[in-house]
Amino acid sequence: MNPFAAWHPAVAFAFFAGVIALSMAAMHPVYVALSCAGALGCLAAVRGGRAALRALAWAVPLVAVVAAANCLFVASGSTEIVRVGTRAVYVEALAYGLVAGGMLASVLLWFSSYAVCMGSEDTLALFGRALPTTTLMVSQVMRLVPQFVRRGRIVAAVQDAASAAAPATARERARGRLRVTSVLMGWGMEDGLIRSDAMRARGYDCGVRRTTYRRYRFGAVDAALAGTVVALVVANAALAFVACGQFRFYPALSALVPWWGYGAYALLLAVPIMLRAREWWLWRK
Amino acid sequence: MAEVTARRGAGAHAVAGAAALAAGAKLPAAEAAGVEFEASFAGETASVEETASAPEAPLVRVAGFSFSYEEPDGSLRPVLRDVSFAVKEGAFCVVTGPTGCGKTTLLRSLKPELAPVGVRAGRIEACGQVLLDAPSAEECPYAAADRAKAPSAASAPAFDPRACGHVSAAQAAPLPKAASAASAPDPRIRAAQIGFVMQDPDAQLVCDTVLHELAFGLENLGTPQDEMRRRVAEAAHFFGIEPWLHAACETLSGGQKQIVNLAAALALRPRLLLLDEPTAQLDPNAQSQFIALLARVNRDLGVTVVMSTHAPEDVAGCATCRLELGAPLAPAPCAVACERLRPRWRARAEALAASEPCLVVRGAHFRYGRGEPWVLRGLDLAVRRGSVHAVVGGNGCGKSTLLKLMAGVEKPQRGRVGNALARSQALLPQDPKALLVCDSVAEELAEWRARCGWAPHDERAMLSRFGLDGCETLHPYDLSGGQQQMLALAKLLLTGARLLLLDEPTKGLDPQACADMARTLRALADEGRTAVLVTHDLDFAYVAADEVTMLFDGEAACTEPAEAFFANNLVYRPSAASRLFALID
Repeated sequence: MNPFAAWHPAVAFAFFAGVIALSMAAMHPVYVALSCAGALGCLAAVRGGRAALRALAWAVPLVAVVAAANCLFVASGSTEIVRVGTRAVYVEALAYGLVAGGMLASVLLWFSSYAVCMGSEDTLALFGRALPTTTLMVSQVMRLVPQFVRRGRIVAAVQDAASAAAPATARERARGRLRVTSVLMGWGMEDGLIRSDAMRARGYDCGVRRTTYRRYRFGAVDAALAGTVVALVVANAALAFVACGQFRFYPALSALVPWWGYGAYALLLAVPIMLRAREWWLWRK
Repeated sequence: MAEVTARRGAGAHAVAGAAALAAGAKLPAAEAAGVEFEASFAGETASVEETASAPEAPLVRVAGFSFSYEEPDGSLRPVLRDVSFAVKEGAFCVVTGPTGCGKTTLLRSLKPELAPVGVRAGRIEACGQVLLDAPSAEECPYAAADRAKAPSAASAPAFDPRACGHVSAAQAAPLPKAASAASAPDPRIRAAQIGFVMQDPDAQLVCDTVLHELAFGLENLGTPQDEMRRRVAEAAHFFGIEPWLHAACETLSGGQKQIVNLAAALALRPRLLLLDEPTAQLDPNAQSQFIALLARVNRDLGVTVVMSTHAPEDVAGCATCRLELGAPLAPAPCAVACERLRPRWRARAEALAASEPCLVVRGAHFRYGRGEPWVLRGLDLAVRRGSVHAVVGGNGCGKSTLLKLMAGVEKPQRGRVGNALARSQALLPQDPKALLVCDSVAEELAEWRARCGWAPHDERAMLSRFGLDGCETLHPYDLSGGQQQMLALAKLLLTGARLLLLDEPTKGLDPQACADMARTLRALADEGRTAVLVTHDLDFAYVAADEVTMLFDGEAACTEPAEAFFANNLVYRPSAASRLFALID
C-alpha cells in the first residue's frame, strides 16, 4: 500500500530523491544505521511486514559479503582482530565494510519502496509536461515489456509442442531458443507498424503541440508536505555534512556521541511511516 | 491475393435504405435490406446525383474509385475498380467481401492519415472534405503535396489515364504549406472527425493504462485539460469502462481491449467511424458485446459507422446499408448442410467405432499458481485415433489450457495425460505469428526440411494445396491473416505430425478459408491422422468435427459424435444459416 497515494507524486518523488541522495552521500555509521532502519520501516509500511522480513534475507548477506571483502582486501586500521596468514584484519576495515554494505543495502531497499510508490503514471504526471515524447515512450515501454515476456513464453511453448519437428541436437535446440528472440523482434516490429497507424489515426504528430492529461492537482496540502520534506532534506544535508566531516574510519574510529542532528534525520526517514500511521489511525475502528 | 473486384453488375451492390433516410430515423433491418440498388459507377453518375438530391448531402461519397498497389517490380496490382457508393449521415454501413477484395484498402482510403500507398483514381469525399479528386491531379491535395515533396512521383508510369493520384507514404505527414489552405483543413479537425478502429485489439493500443489510452488522441490534438477530462469521463461512462479505468492494458481481455480502442476513437468525437473487421479476433461473447456498443454509438450518438466484416449476419440487426465487394455469397440454411454432412457423419462413425483412443486425459486438475483458482478440475477426455475432435465451451472454461496439457506444455497437478502420439505432434497457436520465424514463405516451409527429411517438391505441393502459389518470396507478415494461418498449418503438416493440436484455427478467417480449413482437417482424418481443435466457432465444429466435447466448469460436460451433439443441444448449436454451409460438400 502506497502511503503517498493520496498526495501529489511530487511529494513522494521529493522524499525518495532526497532520502536516496542522503543515503548515498552520508558515509557515517549512525546515518547508515538510521537509513537502513528507515528503509526497512518504509518497506514494511509500503509492502507489509512480511515483505520487509523477506528483504532482510538478501540485505543481511549483502552487508556481510561487503564487510568481509573490505576487511580482507583493505589492510588499513590500527586495531588488529585476527591474522590470516600474513594479512592482518583490522576493526576499522570491518567497520568501514559494514557501513558501506549497509549503505548499499539501504539504497536498494529505498529503491524497492520507490518502485511501488512511484508508478509509471506518477512519473509521467511529474515529467509529462517537460518531456511529452519521452513520457509517451516510457508509457509504451511499460506496456511492451510484459507483452514481450508473455509472447516469448507462447513462442517457446509452440516450439516445445512441435515434437514432430523436434531438434535432433543440443545445438539445434539452442538455435531454436535464439529464434524466439528473432520471432519476438519481427512480431514486435509488425505490431509497431499497426501501432504507428493507430497513433496517426488519432492525430499523433499532426503538427499541434501535445498537451498532457494530468490526474493530479498540486494543492496547498501537497505543497505543505512537499515543503516540509524538502526543508528536512536540506537541513539534514547540512547536518550530515557536518557529521561526516567529523567522523574518521582510519586510522582509528572516531568516538560516537549522542547528538540532536540524528533526530532530525530520523524524523525525515519516518515520514512514510507517519503517513501510514495516520491512515491506520483514521481506520482504527 | 485474389485480384479483385467490384465489377460492374456483379460488383458493388449497395443494399441500402440509408440513402433515403434522414439521420437518426432508422428503418427496421428487414425493411432496410429490402431496398436494394446498384451503386453507380464512374461515367454513370445518375444514382450519385439521386443521392445528392436528397435534402442532406451524404457524409461519405465515393465515385469511380479505383486503386492499384505497385509491386516491387514496377507492375500494378489492381485491388479496387470503379467503386461508387454513398453513406448518409447517421447510417450504419457494412462492407463485406472475401479476403483480399480490398475492404481494408477502401476503408483506409477514407482516412487521410492511413491512405494506402499506390495508384488511385476517382473521387472521395468524407465529412465535407474532398479526400481525393484524381481526374484532375492538381485539385487532389495529396497528389499536390506529394509532387511538392517528391518530384519523381510525377514521372512515374500511370496505368490508366485517369489514375494520376500517385500517393506515397509522405502524405501521412502534415501537408506542406504549398497545398492550398482551402483543401487542407486543420489537421486537428481532420484527425478527430474520422475515427478508425483496426482488427488487432492488441497492436492498436498505444499506452500502458486504459486512462492514458483514452486521453492519447486528445493529447495529440492539444486539447485543453479541462476539456480532456470531460471527454475522457464521457467516453469512459458511455462504454462502462470505469471499473477498469486504471487497469494496465496488458491485463485486459481481447474484447475489453477492442472496447478501449473504440472508446479512444470516440473520445475525439468523430462524425464518421471506420472499423476494419473489428470483431475478427474476438470470441462470440465479446463480438456481440462490441456490436451492441457500436450500435449504441450509432443510434444514441448519431455517429456514422462504416464497418467491414466477414460475418454480416452478426450486425444484421443494426446495419442500415450494405456494400458488397466481389461476388456475393448467399448463406445456406443449416438443414442443407445437415443433409450434405449426414453421409459423412455415418461413414466416419463406422470408421471410428473400432478406433482406439490415442490421447487420454484422466481426472486432470490444473491451475496456474498456488493461490489461483482451478481451471480444470477432474477432466476426463479420450480422443480417438484418426478423428477430428472439437472442444467447445464458453470463455475461460479452460479450452486453451486443456490444449496445453495435451501438448505437454503444462503438466496437470493431479490426474494424468496419456498421449500415444507425443513424439509426433504439432501445435497451431492462436496467433500464427508465434510459429513464423523466417523472412519469406519459401524459407518458412523449408525451415524444418533437414530435420524431418521432406523434399522441396513437397513444399511446392503444400503451397498450391493452400492457395499460396506466387507468395514464395513474400514475407509471412505481408500475407493476410487467413493466409498466415494457412502457412502455419502447411508448415506443421509438412512435419508429418500424426497429432495436430489447433487453438482457434478459424479466428479471423472468411467463409472460404474456413471451408478450406474444414476440408484440410477432414482429409487429415481420412489419412488416419488425429486433430484436436478448441474453438468458439460452432459452425466450423459442425462441418469439420467427428466428435465434439463441451467443456464446462473445468470438466468435460459431454462428448458425443458431432451429429448427436448438435441434435441434443439447445444453445450450443450452429447458426440457422451461414455462408460456410453454402461452401461445404
